Amino acid sequence: MRRANRRTMEDKVLDAIIFAILAVVFVASVYPFFLAIVLSFNEGLDAQLGGIYLWPRKPTLQNYEQLFKDLSWVKAIGVTAARTVLGSFLTVMFTSVVAYGLSQRELIGRKAYMGVIIFAMYFSGGIIPYYAVLRSLRLLNSFAVYIAPSLLNIFYMLVAISFFQGLPSELNESARIDGAGEIKIFSSIVIPVSLPLIATIAIFTSVGHWNSWYDSAFFIQNDNLRTLAYKLMAVIRRSYVDFNSAAATEAGTRIKATSLSVQLAAMTIAVTPILAVYPFFQRYIIAGTTLGSVKG
Amino acid sequence: MKGKSEYKKSLWIRIWKQRYFHLFVLLGVLFLLLFNYLPMFGILMAFKDYKIQSGIMGIFTSKFVGLKHFNAFFTDYQFGHLMYNTIMLSIAKIVFLFPLPIFLAIVLSEVRNRTIKRVVQTVSYLPYFISWVIVAGFCQILLSTTNGVLNDAISALAGQKLQILTSPKYFMPLAVITALWKETGWWTIIFLAAITSIDPTLYEAAEIDGASRLRRISNITLPGILPTITVVLILALGSLLGGGLSGSNFEQSYLLGNGANQDASRIIQTYVLDIGLAQGRYSYAAAAGLFQSVISVALVLISNFIARKTTGEGLF
Repeated sequence: MRRANRRTMEDKVLDAIIFAILAVVFVASVYPFFLAIVLSFNEGLDAQLGGIYLWPRKPTLQNYEQLFKDLSWVKAIGVTAARTVLGSFLTVMFTSVVAYGLSQRELIGRKAYMGVIIFAMYFSGGIIPYYAVLRSLRLLNSFAVYIAPSLLNIFYMLVAISFFQGLPSELNESARIDGAGEIKIFSSIVIPVSLPLIATIAIFTSVGHWNSWYDSAFFIQNDNLRTLAYKLMAVIRRSYVDFNSAAATEAGTRIKATSLSVQLAAMTIAVTPILAVYPFFQRYIIAGTTLGSVKG
Repeated sequence: MKGKSEYKKSLWIRIWKQRYFHLFVLLGVLFLLLFNYLPMFGILMAFKDYKIQSGIMGIFTSKFVGLKHFNAFFTDYQFGHLMYNTIMLSIAKIVFLFPLPIFLAIVLSEVRNRTIKRVVQTVSYLPYFISWVIVAGFCQILLSTTNGVLNDAISALAGQKLQILTSPKYFMPLAVITALWKETGWWTIIFLAAITSIDPTLYEAAEIDGASRLRRISNITLPGILPTITVVLILALGSLLGGGLSGSNFEQSYLLGNGANQDASRIIQTYVLDIGLAQGRYSYAAAAGLFQSVISVALVLISNFIARKTTGEGLF
C-alpha cells in the first residue's frame, strides 16, 4: 500500500521500461506463428506481391486443399500421428517399468545397474557407428526406427526413479501382504498414483515425436514413411535454391497456391496440435523444468 | 566356510525374490547394450577401413589402419574452417544466450500485474516446443529478400534488403538470434523459480531502509540466484560444442545452412553426416565425429571438476 503512494520517478521509468520489454517479448514470441497462419490462408500468388503483415488480403482455403490433395503430405501427417501416439505410449511404459525396477532401494546390484545407465547418458558412439548398428538391426527404412531407439529415455527414467522412491511404501506393502504379484502391484497400484509423472513424460516425448525430422531424413529412404517435419525440412531446404521458380510454374493456371503457400499450410498443421494442447499443459510443462533439479 | 555358502545361497534366494525387478532393469540394460554400448564399440571403425556391408562384425574384422583417417581429417582443406565454425558458433551462443534468461527473469519478477506476467511468460516459452524446422520456415517468411516482413522493415529503414539467409556473414547472428528466440523463455522459467524462492522479508527490509528498486535487484535478487546461475553455466559449458544450453548447433547448421552460406554454417557435425551417410566414407566420418566427441567429453569432465570445486556438487 505504501509502495503505491510513494511511487518515485525511478519507479515510473522502470515500469515503463519493463512494460516495453514485455511488449517486445510478447510480439516477438507470437508474431511468427501469427504471420505464418495468416499467410497460409492467403492466395499464394497474391502473397508474392508482399505487404501482408496482419491479415489475409485474399482469403482462401486453397492452400489447404492443395496440401490435402497431395497424398505424400497426407501420408506424412498420418505417419507422424502414428509415431507420436505409439512411440510416446511405448516410451512412457518402457521407461517407467525400468525405472520402477531401479527404484527398489534393496535391489541387489543396483549401483552397478545405475553405473551402466549413467555412463550411457554421458557417452555415445556418435552418429556413424549408430547408423551402422541400426543397419545391422534391420531398423533402417522401417517404421520401427521411429519407435525402438527412443524407448528408453535415461533422463526421464532418473526423474521417474525419484518419483517412485517418493511414493509411500505402505502403498505396495499392504498389497504384497495380500499376495499380489509385483507386476500386478505396478500396473494397478503404482501406475494410477503416478499419473502426474506419466503425463509430464508423455507430453515431452509426444512433442519430440511430433517435431522429429532427423531420423526420417537419415534412417529412412521409403517416401511412404516420411514424417511431417521431414517433408517441411525438405521443402524449406530446397527453397533456398529456387525460391521463386517453383511458384512460377504454378502461375497461369487456375490454381493460385504456390509451393510456399502450401508449405505454410503444412507448417500451420504442424504447429496446431502444439498450440491446441499448450494452454492445458502448463502445470506439467513447469513440472518438466523443475524435474531437471532431481538427481538419480 | 559353512556360513559363507549359506550366505551365498541366501543371496540367490534374495535375488530370486526380486526377480521381477531384475527383469525390468535388465530390459533397460539390454536396450542400452543395443543402442548405446554397441555404437560405442563401433568407434573402432574410426581406426579401420570399415565397409558398411560387413555389418556389425565387420567393425571387428576389417583392416586396422591406425590414425590414417584422423590424419586425413586434420589435413583436409576444410578442417580449419570447420573447427572455427564449430567453436565460434558454440561460444557466440553461450555468450549471448546465457545472460538473456536471467535478465528476462528479473524483468518478469518486477511485474506486479499477475495476469500480464503469466501471459507474457507463457507465451515466451512457446517457441521451445516447436521444431527447428518450423523456425527455419518462420525465417523464410520474415527474412527472405522476396517480401520477408523483417527484411521489408530493414529496407524501409536502411534503404536496402539484406541477404540474411544466404550470406555467410549473416549466418552467425542468425543462429544466435534464432536460438535466443527459441530458448530464452524456457531457461527463464528456471531463473524465475530461483527468484521466487528468495526470502521476501529481505526485500521488505531493504525497502524500509530506503533502497531503490535497482539496488534491490543488484543486492538481493542477483546474489540470491547466483547458485542457480553457476549450475546452469556449468551445464552449458559441458555441452558447449553441441550448442550449449539449447543444444541446437546441428539443427541450425543443417536447417539454416545452404549452399550460399556454407562457409560459415558448416560445422563438424554436419560435415560428418555429409561425408558418412551421403558419401559413404564411414571410417573417415567416424574419425571426425570421434574427434569432436573427445573434445566434448573433455569439456564435460572439466566443467564437472569446476562444479565440484565451486559448488561442492558435480553432475556425476
